[in-house]
Amino acid sequence: MDRNYHVFSAGRLERQDDTLRLVTEDGEKKYIPVENAEAVFLHGQIDYNTRLLSFLNKHGVAVHVFGWKDYYAGSLMPKRGQTSGQTVVEQVRAYDHPDRRLKLAKAIVEGSIHNMRTNVTYYAGRGHDFDEVIEDIDAAGERLESVTDVNEAMGTEATARKAYYSTFDAILPEGFRLDRREYNPPPNELNSLISFGNSLVYANCVSAIRATALDPTISYLHEPGERRYSLSLDLADLFKPVLADRVLFRLVNRNQIGLEDFETELGSCLLTERGRKTYGKAFEETLERTVEHPRLNRKVSYQYLMRIEAYKLKKHLLTGEPYEPFKRWW
Amino acid sequence: MTSSTTVGGSDVDPVSLLLASAREESVPEEFRVTGVMMQYYFVCERELWFLSRDVEIDRDTVSVVRGTNVDDTAYSEKRRSMSIDGMIALDLLDDGRVVEVKPSSKLTEPARMQLSYYLWYLKHVAGVEKEGVLAHPRERKREPVELTEEREKKVEEAIRGIYEVVTSETPPPAEEKPYCSSCAYHDFCWSC
Ligand code: SF4
Repeated sequence: MDRNYHVFSAGRLERQDDTLRLVTEDGEKKYIPVENAEAVFLHGQIDYNTRLLSFLNKHGVAVHVFGWKDYYAGSLMPKRGQTSGQTVVEQVRAYDHPDRRLKLAKAIVEGSIHNMRTNVTYYAGRGHDFDEVIEDIDAAGERLESVTDVNEAMGTEATARKAYYSTFDAILPEGFRLDRREYNPPPNELNSLISFGNSLVYANCVSAIRATALDPTISYLHEPGERRYSLSLDLADLFKPVLADRVLFRLVNRNQIGLEDFETELGSCLLTERGRKTYGKAFEETLERTVEHPRLNRKVSYQYLMRIEAYKLKKHLLTGEPYEPFKRWW
Repeated sequence: MTSSTTVGGSDVDPVSLLLASAREESVPEEFRVTGVMMQYYFVCERELWFLSRDVEIDRDTVSVVRGTNVDDTAYSEKRRSMSIDGMIALDLLDDGRVVEVKPSSKLTEPARMQLSYYLWYLKHVAGVEKEGVLAHPRERKREPVELTEEREKKVEEAIRGIYEVVTSETPPPAEEKPYCSSCAYHDFCWSC
């Protein structure tokens, strides 16, 4: 039930009896098994009709549309298999309670800072001098303890992220320069790669949240309604360093993605179909990687970690038991 | 969220509350206990709390089907299923005894208590006294269960315990028990 299918080429996606069929522009036909699909990611120019959408809806398969600009364009979500008025009520209560909201927002930033820091120390161990960056990140982490509102927490995250991004130029080969983190649209290759990875993390968090009865529009760090599924933005912050950035470093440093995998159009630098395919494949492989979970006493996939995070949040909301953010422990 | 142990703000004994609810008398608050709730109370109070709050865990997970559905086919003799007040669903053997199938060797006591509760309910609500039999299909054994005075007390204690769990604002903390590994809430409790 948790498989993602990515469609990179342009063409038409249609219902063919009880399966999904992709007819590419040159007439090639591919079939996508729908029974075990969690979501279909559409990256190319894809035509579809309502017949297809109701079919996917019936099978509980989400569609994440990746277009242009910041990549993520939107999701077509099937009717939720689960709704729980009580969960939503508790979500809103926590949002409306300044202390509780702040606590959650801080926890998310704390986890996010921890996971960024882990990446920096990993590369520091591989011959880079990141002492100052680590100091800056730690200073942000300390400041976080005393922040008194959500905006400040947001600001602390931004400070840590800025320090974190300053390591990218050193970690990556010549030609990949961040200069400044910009999106909507991403102006250069590295910005573009970060955006693409982050949007994949975001979409997977949408799927993880959907598996619970949590309302994806009620969030704590981000302002609800800032984007459609703001709770996904909250969770995605925790996983971006672990998923998106690690994939990015690996692919670029191993020359699997190069400058030739981008094209610039009207000031936006976007991955080509080949580039998206390469990244998408590596990303899916990463989602399937497993790690021993210390409390569950079994191996869990990186993808399941996002699900776990949604459970943890829901558990906190329903039981009042403390929420501990995901911090990479391995 | 504050933890609360107040018994719903009423001084009424949960047992009387349950009986009054069952008899459709006017009560300060409805209180009903199903056989499954009785069973869960002895398996895991936390799970009982989740159940009472409709905490659904996962749209994909096929929830662990436990208890009375296990080994339904193990006995070929005729059984009549009946439901009383929508609260308890029991199986009667031809000889009139109430039968409860014991799901696994570990969960004997929860099954025994569920059966005892049925007998108690029949006696106090319907006014019929029945005997029960706990069936062990795997071992091809049966254990007669009688509603002794001692068992009645235990049922009533459990009803009070259940009342406390389900009216509490927070669930009892997770405690690692052998049953956890096969529980639908496992990842919910232990992902921390
Ligand atoms: S996992 Fe264990 S503690 Fe949690 S509800 Fe199930 S049995 Fe109870």
